[in-house]
Amino acid sequence: MKDIIQIKNISFNYPDQPILFNNLSMNVHEGEWTAIIGQNGSGKSTLARLIDGLIVLKSGQIVVDDLVVNDDNIFDIRNKIGMVFQNPEDQFVGATVEDDVAFGLENRQVPREQMHEIVEKSLKQVGMWEFRDRIPANLSGGQKQRVAIAGIVALSPKIIILDEATSMLDPRGRQDILDLVYKIKQDNHLTVISITHDIDEAAGADRVIVVNKGSIVEEDKPDNIFGDISKLKSIGLSAPFTSQLIMALKKRGIDSPYQYLNDKRLIAWIKKLVSTK
Amino acid sequence: MDQEISFNQVTHTYQADTPFAQNALDKVSLKIAPNSFTAIIGHTGSGKSTLVQHINALLKSTFGEIEVYGRQITPSTTNKNLKQLRKHVGMVFQFPEKQLFEESVIKDIMFGPKNYGASDADAEKSAVKAMKLVGLDASLRDQSPFDLSGGQMRRVAIAGVLAMNPEILILDEPTAGLDPHGHKEIMDLAQGLHDHRNMTIILVTHQMDDVVDYASDVIVMDRGQVVKHGTPSQIFADPKWVYKMHLDLPSSGEFATRLIRAGVPLEKTPLTIENLADEIVHLIQGGNHTDE
Repeated sequence: MKDIIQIKNISFNYPDQPILFNNLSMNVHEGEWTAIIGQNGSGKSTLARLIDGLIVLKSGQIVVDDLVVNDDNIFDIRNKIGMVFQNPEDQFVGATVEDDVAFGLENRQVPREQMHEIVEKSLKQVGMWEFRDRIPANLSGGQKQRVAIAGIVALSPKIIILDEATSMLDPRGRQDILDLVYKIKQDNHLTVISITHDIDEAAGADRVIVVNKGSIVEEDKPDNIFGDISKLKSIGLSAPFTSQLIMALKKRGIDSPYQYLNDKRLIAWIKKLVSTK
Repeated sequence: MDQEISFNQVTHTYQADTPFAQNALDKVSLKIAPNSFTAIIGHTGSGKSTLVQHINALLKSTFGEIEVYGRQITPSTTNKNLKQLRKHVGMVFQFPEKQLFEESVIKDIMFGPKNYGASDADAEKSAVKAMKLVGLDASLRDQSPFDLSGGQMRRVAIAGVLAMNPEILILDEPTAGLDPHGHKEIMDLAQGLHDHRNMTIILVTHQMDDVVDYASDVIVMDRGQVVKHGTPSQIFADPKWVYKMHLDLPSSGEFATRLIRAGVPLEKTPLTIENLADEIVHLIQGGNHTDE
């Protein structure tokens, strides 16, 4: 599998601030859903901004889909990456939902006819076509994120970066958006990077990278990462719900060979315990 | 009783007298007891934020009266009469750190008390106290608030509200965007203000785990009306109703419904992980409910 993003020995600090990344390296595999988790201030969002060339490295190199992130390639790279931020309101520019989705296409001088077609298709993909005449500011949080995602889908990127994109939504709204992005990822063969501190969201990823104070603590499959809860807790993250339940059962004398199971496997295990006793 | 908040048939119409008129609150009557920890829940657009903005009269009702600690607010109350009331009701909005503006942490926190006529010395005293209350280290006082982390900035903003010594604290989604650690800090702070300072806490949230972990009372809003008011266990007793309101169960309840669907015969909707674990253990050790 190709490494669609290669981060090679990068160093970075904000002006007048201590060093954040010191010789950090990591890769993102094409076609995977990678979750980057860590506390506020761990450097997760900075990483996303470096990949998108919104801020500039001190040293090292980032390669996105075979292009080095630098001034010459920046526009090509941004065409490959769609970023969804925590608060979509910070990104809205159009007077209506339709205008907003069209904005990125106008910027890229897509012919008018083609533009209408793409906007319609994108809004339909996120289930917001009926809302095309509405004012973005008057939509609910989940609907706003859908419009933001349509704006990204319209530009057919190869990589979607979710930067705490679901943290303002209620649990169901969060699941809806994640399901939607997953479907878009599968339909269009995209790579997704999700920057999050929602442990239960990270549990659904193909690969998890744990970042703390600018360093990578661990990178592995969720099952392996969540096998050791004490490590997560020591860097200010919480344990996934299923691990907490396994612990609570253990305290009551129901011993488990596992520290972590995903939802489905935990349900199957409990069912077996209840029916064999 | 003048020590409480009461709404009497309160209606609030946005864009009244236009074709877009819309009742955001529709004849709402309720009482919130002093020193309670009340959660207000409801799906987006149900009227939660409109409701709490009436408590400190940021919004005034179109019809109906509100009484807050013996002070009446009616549609005709003038803003001049509201200043004292607003001092008693502290309001922390979503992403309150966006409202920080001063060059130092201490000046930002002093702004509120000064605005209400406190001398520099008194305002500073209140600000120092408020910093301690929210757990901000004294060494941060002369730093620019904009150099702080997200969680710290939020605490500066909350300290700015607490420096006015309110009796009622309204928190509108106070933990949005914080990591689990920051989340717990802010919620524990709210609980501490409630337990040790006898403050009345009103929490607008869609995090049902917080409702169960912290609130003693829950008000459920739907389409501008109060549809249920009770304890967390009363509110979540009927999962079907909760889903009908487009709300979620707490994580444990959510997981329990999936266990039930998978054929594990749990009897009650658990509110916490401890409840859920108890019930599972009961099934394993107690009766053999499943047919072999």
